[in-house]
Amino acid sequence: MMTEFEWPWEYTFPPFFTLQPHEETRNQQIKVWSDLFLRYLKYLNKFQVNINENTFPLFNNDAIKRRLSPETITVILEQLQRTGHAAPLDKRRIEWQVYSYTLEEYANMVYDWIQQTGQLNTICTLYEIASGENSEGTEFHGVDEAVLLNAFRTLENKGKCEVVQLDDSFGIKFF
Amino acid sequence: MGSLFSKSKKQSRVTEHDKAVLRLKQQRDKLKQYQKRIELQLEKDRELARKCLQTGRRDRAKLLLRKKKFQETQLSNADKQLENLEKMTADLEFAQVELQVIEGLKQGNVALKKVHDLMDINEIEKIMDETREGVEKQQEIDAILSGALSEEDEENVLAELDALAAEEATSSLPEVPAEDLPEPEANEMVEDATLTAEIDADAPKKKRKNLSEQDKKVLVEA
Repeated sequence: MMTEFEWPWEYTFPPFFTLQPHEETRNQQIKVWSDLFLRYLKYLNKFQVNINENTFPLFNNDAIKRRLSPETITVILEQLQRTGHAAPLDKRRIEWQVYSYTLEEYANMVYDWIQQTGQLNTICTLYEIASGENSEGTEFHGVDEAVLLNAFRTLENKGKCEVVQLDDSFGIKFF
Repeated sequence: MGSLFSKSKKQSRVTEHDKAVLRLKQQRDKLKQYQKRIELQLEKDRELARKCLQTGRRDRAKLLLRKKKFQETQLSNADKQLENLEKMTADLEFAQVELQVIEGLKQGNVALKKVHDLMDINEIEKIMDETREGVEKQQEIDAILSGALSEEDEENVLAELDALAAEEATSSLPEVPAEDLPEPEANEMVEDATLTAEIDADAPKKKRKNLSEQDKKVLVEA
């Protein structure tokens, strides 16, 4: 896991850091950026970004002295939002939640796992799903609890689980 | 799945029991997190103690190791508590399962009772009577129908039966021998017998046999 992250060639290509005026080129550029966002954040196991985070290597390539402007970052994140891989966390759209799988995919993964491990109708803590020993080796192990919680909200709407808050943490019961 | 629609959406399906289990599990998570933290701390302290030794600060190293030892005992305490918690959680969960089993049995019992209520003994007797009557009626009908048929067929049937019986009777008789009786041989035997009478001890027997055969022949001719 901790092998060096492989940057795409575009990362060392200065124009890549500026939104291109030509529509087709720009679409292609945004697509490459979105993929790179997801890949890099997954590599770091990071689920939250701040568009003003200047020194974050994803936004800033020191070697070629190029940086993504917050506006460009917002454009990319909005694209990710359209595909279900990101959501703003505040009204000013500065903090964003980003996830390599969509919430629906996470929800299904966890639900399948719960079913396979016979944990239906049993209440679980959010922590044990996200970081417990039992979930080790699953794709959702180590996922940000806030992301999982949002995923479970979608399941809850379908009546497949119920989220309860107890004190400062959450429990989920699957049905 | 039926329960999904029958229950109103607002009613929570998380019971007080679930909450109790959840609380235990939360405690367990906290203990686990605590253990992780302590383990990290232990590792760090060990490293630090080694460094202190290398730089010659023996007392500091000793202090660190003492702290480490203390934390290790805490860790094992945490382990024990964790065990207790897990046991408690398992007990609670199992109790819930047992409850469900009992509930299931209860419902099964109710259902069985309902079915039994539906099955009134008198009614069953009535049904059985009716069935019996039906069978009798059917037999009657059969009798009538087969009777109607036999009116003309009965004679044929009887005739066929007689023919079959006759056939059977003839076939059971022993077969008539196809070949003729060996007459000349018998005469030879008589001559032989007179010739060999003195020598052969068996001769008288043979003679007698031949004689009897001759007698038979006489009888047949007669």
